[in-house]
Amino acid sequence: MDSARRLGPAQIDVLAQLAVATVLLGGIYALIAVGLTLIFGIMRVVNFAHGEFLMLGMYLAFWAFALYAVDPYVVVLVSIPVFFVVGLVAYVLVMRGVIQASHNVQIFTTVGLSVVLQNVALVAWSGDFRFVRPWHLSTVIRAGATIFNLTQVVAFLIAVALTIALVAFMKWTHAGRVMRATAQDRDAATLMGIDTDRVYRLTFAIGIAAVGAAGVLVAPLYSVYPTAGLQFVLISYVVVVLGGLGDMFGAMLGSFIVALVEVAGSYLFGTAWKEIFYFILFILVLVFRPVGLFGQRGAETLGV
Amino acid sequence: MIARLRSRPGAVALFGLAALTPLVVRDAYFLDSLVLILLWGALSAAWNVAGGYAGQVSIGHASFFGIGAYAAALMVTRFGQGPWLGMLAGVVLSLGAGFIIGFLSNRLKGPYFALSTIAFAQVLLIGVSRWRGFTAGGEGIPVPFRPGFATLGLGHVGWVYMALAAALLCYGVEVYLERSRIGYRLAGVREDEDAAEALGIPTRRLKVFAVALSAALTSVCGSLWAQYIGFVDPTYVFSVDLSVRFALNAIIGGMGTALGPYLGSILITSLETYLRATFSGVKTGFAGIYLIIYGTALIVVVRFAPGGLAGVASRLRARRAQA
Repeated sequence: MDSARRLGPAQIDVLAQLAVATVLLGGIYALIAVGLTLIFGIMRVVNFAHGEFLMLGMYLAFWAFALYAVDPYVVVLVSIPVFFVVGLVAYVLVMRGVIQASHNVQIFTTVGLSVVLQNVALVAWSGDFRFVRPWHLSTVIRAGATIFNLTQVVAFLIAVALTIALVAFMKWTHAGRVMRATAQDRDAATLMGIDTDRVYRLTFAIGIAAVGAAGVLVAPLYSVYPTAGLQFVLISYVVVVLGGLGDMFGAMLGSFIVALVEVAGSYLFGTAWKEIFYFILFILVLVFRPVGLFGQRGAETLGV
Repeated sequence: MIARLRSRPGAVALFGLAALTPLVVRDAYFLDSLVLILLWGALSAAWNVAGGYAGQVSIGHASFFGIGAYAAALMVTRFGQGPWLGMLAGVVLSLGAGFIIGFLSNRLKGPYFALSTIAFAQVLLIGVSRWRGFTAGGEGIPVPFRPGFATLGLGHVGWVYMALAAALLCYGVEVYLERSRIGYRLAGVREDEDAAEALGIPTRRLKVFAVALSAALTSVCGSLWAQYIGFVDPTYVFSVDLSVRFALNAIIGGMGTALGPYLGSILITSLETYLRATFSGVKTGFAGIYLIIYGTALIVVVRFAPGGLAGVASRLRARRAQA
């Protein structure tokens, strides 16, 4: 370790800054990942089009800002019902028919959906990189020795609030209980009079609403373009597998682990190499602990 | 031999037509489309060896394609050797990568395996983009054109036969997998792995074999592609889109059938060439229209005709035989 990285007061400040960056990033990853893990946990479908719904959320934020100068954090409120409906439509048109089908059919159905959405965005809005620049992006907050901007903080707070709301919904409401019951045993749930089709419809719509809202939140922080979802969805696969596919608490914890790997990796080795660390982490987890770091309920249905 | 050929009229017609076309047609645009149809078909057939015959569905086959493309390009530009040696190096490296992914396939199933193959391709993409000193990074490498067979600097007609050779190689491997003992065993692994294992079939070894074989074939086509197009860059050759495309042709044409990938390639590649030509002047984004069509086709085919075009054809034939 070179002298510049030896631990002194200045380096403690760096550590504090890195810690704050990790937490802020992790909160956003969590919101993206809970939707994915929810859909997987209950429907047993890996949604390969998840990133594309995020991208649509980013475009919603962009157009609202560019055309009507609406702040992304106002758009978030609108985006939840909008993407809930988008999720319902996508479920009815595409997902319903393949719920009982084999993994391969499900994989390629969602991959096909992803290709379609990406290119609809490309044809409709071109491949240009677009930016959302609200006033709060240039408002700097200093706390102790750490510096970050207001946008990051608000995005983090909203993401955490939504994630917690979703977890609370799953845990304490009747609908949430019904959804978890269906996840545990579809046939038994049907025998108890649960309309599983309705459960799946609701699950998919909620998952898409979460990721759509996440897209609106990240729009000011990243550039907006038709394949913008890819980088995030790859991260959320890592997160979700790390936490155990279908495990919401695992996904939250996994988000912070991945954020830590990303932040520490870019600090130590430069931003150019940061992605390679979490993919290597991903492959290692898949090979040595495919049920996730904390084990996974129902993993056996996948033959892992 | 003749009897065998007679049992595959579709393949004889398709490959025969491809072989005869350059004798009659000299139009460069048309021959270029033909080369691409054959190459994409060969690539999808290579994917089919793992995805269709062994049931190891990968969305990361661009890894092997990129390894082949880069091996050929680097062998020419960095080491001053011929592309054939590059192709060989690509095959060796891809076999190695194929063994790693094959090993993963023994641990992981369904969506987990698909995810791990995507991650593998991403690691290669990032590695090649960042290792500027050797691979020229994101800028890519222009592959020089040197006329001659040894340097793979061929004209349009030469390329049609080269692509046809690749297509026949991959088709031959597929046919072998349909008729041989090893192919029957792979079908066993695909249909019911536990049952296959109970019958004493070495399922793990077979899966690794199928993935590595598929990787090597993909790599060969990747090397040819690099020489044909004359340019490689990491964001294209290792992309998820490309991996999806290999799978797509095979699924639309008929997964696990020898001719299916070629039928898919004819349909998809000609659609692409046509739409690109039609919309190229209008607005750049319009090139995306063919991707919308092919995404939709993918969703519709896996749901309503999981056997693809080949499946529909054989169902029609069965119905006619009944009537």
